[in-house]
Amino acid sequence: MNSDAAKEILSAYRSSDRDGADPIFQEALSLMESDSELKKWFEEQHAIDRTIREKLAAIEPPADLQAKILARIRGEKVRRFALPPIWLAAAACLLLGGLAVFYSDRGGPDRFQEFKSDALAMVSAEGGPALDLWTPKLSEAETYLRDHQAPYDEALPTRLKSMETAGCRAFVWNQYPASLTCFRLGNGMLLHLVVINRKAIGDSNIPDGIKSMGDWHVMFQQKDGMLMMWASQAPMEKLKEMLVAALGAAQTRAAEEKITQRRFPKSLKL
Amino acid sequence: MRTELDLEKVVSELYAPLYRFALALSRNEPQAADLTQETFLILAKQHAQVRDITKIKSWLFTTLRREFLRGLRSQSSHPEVELQPEHQDELVADSGVLQASDAATVLEALAGVDESYRTVLELFYLADLSYKEIAASLDIPIGTVMSRLSRGKEQLRTLLAKTTPRDKIFPRPE
Repeated sequence: MNSDAAKEILSAYRSSDRDGADPIFQEALSLMESDSELKKWFEEQHAIDRTIREKLAAIEPPADLQAKILARIRGEKVRRFALPPIWLAAAACLLLGGLAVFYSDRGGPDRFQEFKSDALAMVSAEGGPALDLWTPKLSEAETYLRDHQAPYDEALPTRLKSMETAGCRAFVWNQYPASLTCFRLGNGMLLHLVVINRKAIGDSNIPDGIKSMGDWHVMFQQKDGMLMMWASQAPMEKLKEMLVAALGAAQTRAAEEKITQRRFPKSLKL
Repeated sequence: MRTELDLEKVVSELYAPLYRFALALSRNEPQAADLTQETFLILAKQHAQVRDITKIKSWLFTTLRREFLRGLRSQSSHPEVELQPEHQDELVADSGVLQASDAATVLEALAGVDESYRTVLELFYLADLSYKEIAASLDIPIGTVMSRLSRGKEQLRTLLAKTTPRDKIFPRPE
């Protein structure tokens, strides 16, 4: 092997820890011991390679790029869950059909209670709910939800629209796409808005007014074929203030219903 | 036994180098961010088909480049840079010259290298792939990778010598 051939091979050498054990470099590296010109060339070449890598590594990706990628990946998982294989969907249809017949004579399960419990379990998760997208901008959250075919309220009151959000999440509940948007109320408090198609809870009755469930205050609203659940641990007065803005005073009279039996399931049907 | 792929860990470790690679290809920040996102989305959709997760890095860079080329179609966003071999020796940058340049200068110089050499250089410097991984990614022989790296590095150094603001290295007297 001559010096030129060694230079060509050593051009592909990165570092001793990554390429030191590769036999293809061994002869060229050995030749360097007896060829001072080659050694000098290699050291200079290696220094330049290192500097170029350092310079290029200084390029910072956009600050929100990682979060956006993770949100899209999670959204893809939700989408894939929501779109099962055809044979699985067919089997599910048969099963649901059977259950529908079974329940038609028995009044059916209370889908509303199931939804309320599952949604509360989601927002009351330790450390806060898992979000697909963390963003202070409601517009970005809405774009994300729209991109993921999740329902959301396009006509929020001005006051809520101007509030900062923590972020949002798109998910599927009982085969219905749903969304969670979290607004920041200040003092570390959040106001959660869960939106799902009204059909998801069947014919269940929906209670009026704000309900207290343990540490949580919850209120439901029907709008444009959607069921919206507002939930927060903020003081009742603060919540009323916010929800009056959202719904109008007539609908927000507090029912002050105390539910002593708190029933939060461990997992959502995601 | 197949090991499960931790997608979020892969994103955390590789999104930055992938973005830089995308930026070198596209020379457009929004497009680079989109390409990076699209590449990870493809991984999220197809990761069940990835048999060897030790090759995931190489797979990602190869996929990103393929997506870039797919989007590029027939248009050429990388203009040819004419070299002047007769002056090459005196223009070759040394490490002192290079220290004074910044990332943008290096990217600009990289973009000026002949395309056949440039792709190999980008995979070498930005993806930090080995010559074997580059050969597999581009489907070319190992010997070709080595010769292109050698020639490409020479071109890059020449271009860096041309584009580096020399005033920063040798300040003009007031």
